[in-house]
Amino acid sequence: MFLVKAKRFSMPFSKLPRGFMKMREVPLLNLHKALGASLGIFAGVKTAMDYGNALEEHIAVRNSVGVFDITHMGRIAIKGPDAYDLLNYLVPKDISKSQEGRMIGPTAFLNEKAGFKDDVMLYNMGNDNWMLVCNAINIEKIYSWLKQWTQKISARVTIENLTETYAMLAIQGPKSADLISTLGFENALDLKHLQFITDLEYKGEKVFLISRSGWTGEDGFEIIAKPNVAECILKEAIKKGARPCGLIARDSLRLEMGFVLYDNDIDENTTPLEARYWVFTPSKTGYVGYEALAKQLEEGVKRVKIGIRMKKGIRVIPRRGYEIVVGNKTVGKVTSGTFSPILRRSIAMGYVNSTHALMGLEVKVIIRGKKYPGKLVDFPFIKKR
Amino acid sequence: MSMEVLGYKVVSDRKYTKSDEWVKIENDIAIIGITDYAQRKLRNIVAVELPEINKEVRAGESIAVVESIKTIADVYTPISGIVTEVNEVLMDRPELINDDPYGEGWIVKIKIKDRSELEKLLTPEQYAELIKEREH
Repeated sequence: MFLVKAKRFSMPFSKLPRGFMKMREVPLLNLHKALGASLGIFAGVKTAMDYGNALEEHIAVRNSVGVFDITHMGRIAIKGPDAYDLLNYLVPKDISKSQEGRMIGPTAFLNEKAGFKDDVMLYNMGNDNWMLVCNAINIEKIYSWLKQWTQKISARVTIENLTETYAMLAIQGPKSADLISTLGFENALDLKHLQFITDLEYKGEKVFLISRSGWTGEDGFEIIAKPNVAECILKEAIKKGARPCGLIARDSLRLEMGFVLYDNDIDENTTPLEARYWVFTPSKTGYVGYEALAKQLEEGVKRVKIGIRMKKGIRVIPRRGYEIVVGNKTVGKVTSGTFSPILRRSIAMGYVNSTHALMGLEVKVIIRGKKYPGKLVDFPFIKKR
Repeated sequence: MSMEVLGYKVVSDRKYTKSDEWVKIENDIAIIGITDYAQRKLRNIVAVELPEINKEVRAGESIAVVESIKTIADVYTPISGIVTEVNEVLMDRPELINDDPYGEGWIVKIKIKDRSELEKLLTPEQYAELIKEREH
């Protein structure tokens, strides 16, 4: 059939995680269907890809407000007297000054070679209670990683996977504070970026957590609640003017900001230095991955993550795996790409040899055998508003 | 004249292919585009790659590429012949394929070489059946 060709290309939205046997679906799937969503599988989770027009959804988030179901993300609780010690040993960021009610991140879990196990957000819930939100594709991996280290260092900690207990929504865009207020979450309005509050109420039902955070580069809030409560909030948010947005818009929004997507732009063989992803505190030592990272810091890196802004008018999309060339020499590879609805041209991120990591350098990307011109640029692609 | 099949528009003044192209015959010219069903599956189309004028093409060959944010798809010609015209407007406004797949969103015109190839095309009713089977 007509769409067959796409199968030859690596598609971020249809990738199943390795070793992931069970297929999940978000609990609000029927609501998404009723809202006219096209459904797809992302990281083994069936969810809403778009609601008819991903470009308009993207623009709604930049100019007004959109609401996403991000239940596919992993939520893991870490509790007990040694929770801090365990996390402090596993993340490269200094968490010693963290306060209750604040998120730390993005930070990461690194392997012994300083490659990314995952990039995560940590939540300091107070009283030796912590939570983290990780990528959907890594839930099982991170859960076992935490369990494994809990045993190794005999930490008095319990690890609980809350992923399927709760649903998670993201309200994003310059008008998200107005919407949060309309929804009756007055308490959340005082939150500063990366602060959160727990145990709120919505129409007599409990809301577990609201944070001021997101992954779009806009002001926004993320809400964690039981699926039935999240469903009411999602419906009400739409009624009050939020545009329902799917994962395709979420992907183009994060790409415009230069945010990385695990398994596309970073993985176990990529280090924070190569990715220029500042998930670590330079003065911190003694965590898993520290030696390898310190060594690489001295020796330097062979490749660097950069942005590619395609020449104006170029709309074909540089996708994952496409080669970046200078003259006849391949100098790198694309890891993610999209059409930027704001710039009205194609953008991508990828890695180039550090010998060619020169911002402003004119390069070409080979797309279906043809060379298309672009320029190496730093992130974000658009100014943060 | 047109009909709706499970919400997808199928117009009756032309023929169809199993790979979701439509073909409209005007004298010895075949105008080719993609169907409403195809554009709805692709969603936001952001780019189109068109063939060169005067290119000789054979039935079954990929003659154009339609790219949406989500995916990339070939457009196959069911008709052999010579490309006489391409819809240049699509280079700047590829979204015309989403907005008007059977009209302004046409893709190429081909001078028909062998009229017997037309007999293999699907009627609107047959194409409607195909959509029903797929969506079943």
